[in-house]
Amino acid sequence: MTPMPRMPMRVPRSIDAALAALAEPGARALAGGTDVVPALKHGLLSPGPLVSLHALDALRGVSRPADGGLRIGAMTPLSALVSHPDVSILAPALASSASTVASPTIRNAATLGGNVLLDTRCDWYNLPDVSRASLGGCLKCDGTVCHVAPRGTRCWAAHSADTVPVLMLLGAELEVLHRGDSDGTRCTRTPLASLVAQADGRTAHGLPRGALLSAIVVPRREARIVHRKVRARGTLDFGVLLVAVARHDSGWSAVVSASGPAPVRVDAPNGTSLVEAAWSAVKPVGTHTVSPNWRRRMVRVEVERAVAALDG
Amino acid sequence: MSGSPVGARGPKIDGRARITGAARFVADLKLPRMAHGAFVRSTHAHARLRDIDVSAARAMPGVLGVMVGADLPRRYGAIPVARDETALAVDKVRYIGEPIVCVVAVDLELARRAAAEVRVSYEPLPAVLGIDAALDPTSPIVHDEARKPSNTLRHVSQAFGDVDAELAASDVVVEARYDYPGSTHAPLEAHGALAAPDPDGGLTLWTSTQNVHYVHKDVARVLGMDERDLRVVKPAVGAGYGGKCDPFCTELCAAHMARTLGRPVRIVLSREEVFLAHRGRHPTRMWMRMGLTRDGDIRAIDFKAWADGGAYASYGVVTSYYLGVFMGMPYRLGAYRFEAMRLYTNVPPCGPKRGHGAIQPRFALETHLDRAAEVLRMDPASLRARNFLGADSETINGLRITSNGVAACMDAVLSASGWHTRRGRLPRGRGLGLAVSAYMSGALHGIHGDDLSQSVVSVRVDRNGAVTVFSGSADLGQGSQQMLATLVADRLGLQPSDIRVVEADTRLTPVDLGSYSSRVTMMAGNAALQAADAVRAQVLDAAATQLGTAASELRLEDGRIHVAGDVSVGVSFVRAAQLAEARLGAVGATAGFRPPLQGSRHRRESVGPSPAYSFTAQVAEVEVDEDTGVVRVVQVWVAHDCGRALQPSIVEGQVEGCVAMGLGEALHEETVHRDGRLVAPSLLAYKVPTIHETPPIEVTLVETHDPIGPLGAKECGEGPQLGTVPAVANAIHDAIGIRLDAPPFTPERVLRALDARGRAG
Repeated sequence: MTPMPRMPMRVPRSIDAALAALAEPGARALAGGTDVVPALKHGLLSPGPLVSLHALDALRGVSRPADGGLRIGAMTPLSALVSHPDVSILAPALASSASTVASPTIRNAATLGGNVLLDTRCDWYNLPDVSRASLGGCLKCDGTVCHVAPRGTRCWAAHSADTVPVLMLLGAELEVLHRGDSDGTRCTRTPLASLVAQADGRTAHGLPRGALLSAIVVPRREARIVHRKVRARGTLDFGVLLVAVARHDSGWSAVVSASGPAPVRVDAPNGTSLVEAAWSAVKPVGTHTVSPNWRRRMVRVEVERAVAALDG
Repeated sequence: MSGSPVGARGPKIDGRARITGAARFVADLKLPRMAHGAFVRSTHAHARLRDIDVSAARAMPGVLGVMVGADLPRRYGAIPVARDETALAVDKVRYIGEPIVCVVAVDLELARRAAAEVRVSYEPLPAVLGIDAALDPTSPIVHDEARKPSNTLRHVSQAFGDVDAELAASDVVVEARYDYPGSTHAPLEAHGALAAPDPDGGLTLWTSTQNVHYVHKDVARVLGMDERDLRVVKPAVGAGYGGKCDPFCTELCAAHMARTLGRPVRIVLSREEVFLAHRGRHPTRMWMRMGLTRDGDIRAIDFKAWADGGAYASYGVVTSYYLGVFMGMPYRLGAYRFEAMRLYTNVPPCGPKRGHGAIQPRFALETHLDRAAEVLRMDPASLRARNFLGADSETINGLRITSNGVAACMDAVLSASGWHTRRGRLPRGRGLGLAVSAYMSGALHGIHGDDLSQSVVSVRVDRNGAVTVFSGSADLGQGSQQMLATLVADRLGLQPSDIRVVEADTRLTPVDLGSYSSRVTMMAGNAALQAADAVRAQVLDAAATQLGTAASELRLEDGRIHVAGDVSVGVSFVRAAQLAEARLGAVGATAGFRPPLQGSRHRRESVGPSPAYSFTAQVAEVEVDEDTGVVRVVQVWVAHDCGRALQPSIVEGQVEGCVAMGLGEALHEETVHRDGRLVAPSLLAYKVPTIHETPPIEVTLVETHDPIGPLGAKECGEGPQLGTVPAVANAIHDAIGIRLDAPPFTPERVLRALDARGRAG
C-alpha cells in the first residue's frame, strides 16, 4: 500500500479564509484531488498544508453573464460540465473535451479549475518512488538532468490539460482571487492563453502562489470547434497529443497540446494550410513512451481530420 | 432453484461479498499491536552491496525493527531444483526494485519514511539486459554463486521423429522469426501478508497467494520452523493470473519480523512493487521452420525459443519445457524438434502468467499456419482442420488426448463469425483472423515428484444438515469455491448455496497443490466428488434403513431423499444426516486424487502430460486505420471445449477474461525496460485495457464430457487466452496484408510495417 504522507488539512468556509490558508508556506489547493493526491502519494510534491476548496459553494456552478457567454465556477465537476445544457449549446467542444478526461468516476471528482491548472506530465517524472529514485530524479523533481533532453537545461514535461486547447480557442479568461493588502479580496481577469504561455515544463501556468482560481469565463463566440485526443488507451489515459481546431470567417486556428511544455497555437488565414502550419510548429519530444516521431505524424493526421470535420 | 446445479446459472456463492466489498482481503485484516513493514529496494540493475547503513532508520521513534538479507539467508524458490532467491538481497542485487531491507514500524507511513533513511552503498556491475547480452560469453554472470556459472537457467532439447528428413521431403518449408514481449498480470489486489505469533508458540500467516501449500513449505524451511507450527491462510484474494504462485518477500519478512518482534506484522505491496515483484510473461524470441506437403499436411516443425527470464528462476525450469511441449496439439505432426532456453538477466523475474510458457509458441504456431496457408493458397481453417488430431489420440511427443472438441470449436466460430462468406470480402482495413489452441487441465506430475495426492478434500455433514467442504485450493475470484460447492451439491441433492467451503488454510484444510496450471477443477474437483460420493453413500444407507428399502431405490434431490418415482416416501437431507450420524458416529469423508498415469512413449518427460486437455478456437475481427496505425478489435468469437460447464456463467466469464487479457497483450501491454528500469510501473502507464476498450466477446461452450474430468469437466481459465493474439495478428494480415511478428500491435508498429511495405513498393 502507498499511504498518504502526513500533512495538515484546511477546510476554509469562506473565500477570505481560503486565501489566508493558501498564504501559508507550502500550502496547496485541493480541488478534485484526482491529480494532486497521486502526486503526493508518489512523493512528486512535497507535503504542505492542503487547502480543500470543497466547502466553497461560490466556486461551483455554471451561469450566463450578460454578454451571453458562460461563467463556470472553478470547482464545477467535469461530469456536471459534460451534462450541462448551457455548456452543450454554447460550448459543445468544451463539454466534449471534458468528457475525454480519465473515467466517469474520476470526472465526478475532477473539476474544471483543476483541469485548467493541471500540472505538466512526463513519463520520466510521473513515476512512483523506486523507479524515480533509480533514475536519480529529474529537472522537475529531485534531480539535475532532464531525461528527455539530457544535454539541455530545460524541463520538457508536457502540458496535458484536456480542456485547455478548446478553452484557448474559445478565448476563455480566468477569474482569479488574490488576497488584498488591506481591503480583503481582489479579483483579476487574465486570458487563459497568457497564463499557460508561461508554462515551462516545471510549472503548467503562471498563476501566482496564494492566488485562487475562482471561475473560467467563456465569451460568446460563433467559431465552430472540433477537438481530438490521441491516447494509447481509449479511457483512463492522458493524451499524447491534443488537438483543437476552430473555423473562423478569416481562416483557421488550432491549438496543439501534450506535445511540449505549453500548448501551441497556430493560425492559418484563408488560403493557407493549417495542416502545414501545425506540422512545422509542433515538434513533440520524448516525454511519452509513445515515440515522438509517431506523435508528430499524428499532428498532421489529426489536424487534417479536424479540418475535414469542420469543412463537412 | 431445484434439480442438479450442474450446468445451471445460479448466483456465485461468494459473489455478493466481493461485489459489496464485504470480502476480507489481507489489507482489511487488523490485529491488536499490528506493526507495518516497508521495503528498501535496489536502485541498481546489477551491483554488489558494499554497505547497508540502517542506523538512522533504526533510531527513529516508532521504528520497531530493521531486517537485512543476512538475517534470513536461506534460499527459496517455488521449484525445488532452482532455489536461487533470498527474502532480501544478500551480497548482490540483480534487478532494480529488488528488496534489500525491510523496516517495521508502528504505522505504514512511518515505516516508509524510515525506509527512505536507509543508506545503501553499491558497487555497480554491468547489467545483463536482454537475450543477446545473456548469451554473450563476455557478459557478467547474474548468478555467479551457482555451481556452474552461466546465464542459462535451463536448456532443453527434445526431438520426435526425423525432422531434417521430413523437412527435406516437404513440398514447402515456411520459416519465420517471432518476438513475443513480456507482460505482467496486474491483479487488482496487491500482494500482502500478515503474520502473527500464536499463543502456543507457532505462527499464523495470512497471505494473498495462489498456493498456500508451497508458501507453507518454503516459509517453514527458510525460517527453520517445523511445518506443523506454521499455519498459512489465504483470505479473499483479488486475482493472481499466475503472479501469486511464488513465495514472496512479503511472506518471508512478515513471518520473520513477527517472530522476532513478538507481534503481528503486515506488509502490503504498493502498486509499483507489484510491478517489480512481477513473475510475468517471459519475453521470448522464437524461430520456426515448418515443412508441409502440397496438400497441407504438416510434415515437420523445427522450433527454437529463447526466453528472457529476469533475475531469478521462479518457475523458469518448467517454463523452458512449456515453450515446446504443447506445440503438437491439436495437430498431427510428421516430426517435431524443439530447443528452448530460459536465461537470467537483470530485470524483475518472469514466471507463470496465464497460459504459462504456451502463449508465446502458440502465437508463433498459429501465425505460422496462416503463413503456410497463404503459400499453399489454402483457407487457413481448412489447413488446420486437415491436421487435427481427434479424441483418444496422442501427440507426436506422447501427450495423451482424451476428449477433444477442437473441430466443433472451430466450426462454431467459423459459423458465428461468418468466416466463409465474409473473409476476404470485407472493406479495406477490415479483416478476420483465426487461431486454434489447446491447454492442460493440471500437470500430471507435481513439482515435488512424489507419489502423494495432488489434492485432498474433506466433506463434513453436521447434524443440522450443514455441509462443509474443506479444500486447500485457492479461490482468487475465478470460482473454484463455486466449482466445489456445485459438485458436492450435485452428489448430495442440494444447491451450491447450501454448501459452505472452507479453503486454503493449512491447519484446517487438507493439502492441495494450489491454483495454477489450470488444475483445480480436475484435481480438487475429482477429490471433492469422491468425498461427496462417500458421504452420499452414508446418508443413502441410513435413509434406506429408515425407509425399509434399498439405497439403490433412492434418489437425492431438492434437499430430500425419496424413493424413486414416489416423492412422498422419503426423509429430508437433514434427517438422513442425523440417521447416518446415529449409525456411524459421524458423517463425513476425505478423499484424495492423483490423476491416473497414462501410457506414453515418452515417459521420461514429466512436464506437459495432463489428465485432459481443453481446446479453443477463436476468430477476431479487426479494423485498421492505415493513417494512424490504430488497430481496433471489433469483435471476438470464441468457442471453448471445457469438457462440461459445471457453472456456465463462470466458465463464460473465464473465457471472456482470457480473451480480454489476450487483447491487452495483442494491442497494448508490454513490460519495457530502459537500462533495466521498468518504464511503466503503474496502472496509468501500463496499458491494461478497460471494459471501454474490450469489444463484444461471443462465447460458445463445447461440451465433450471428458472421461477423467469431474462430471466431464476440463479447464477453462487459461486455454482460451492462447489463440487471441495470433487471431488478431492474422486478422490484421487479412485487413491490410501485413504480417506483424512482434506484439503488441501498436500504432507505431503498424505504421512502420506499412511504411516498410510502401518502400518495398
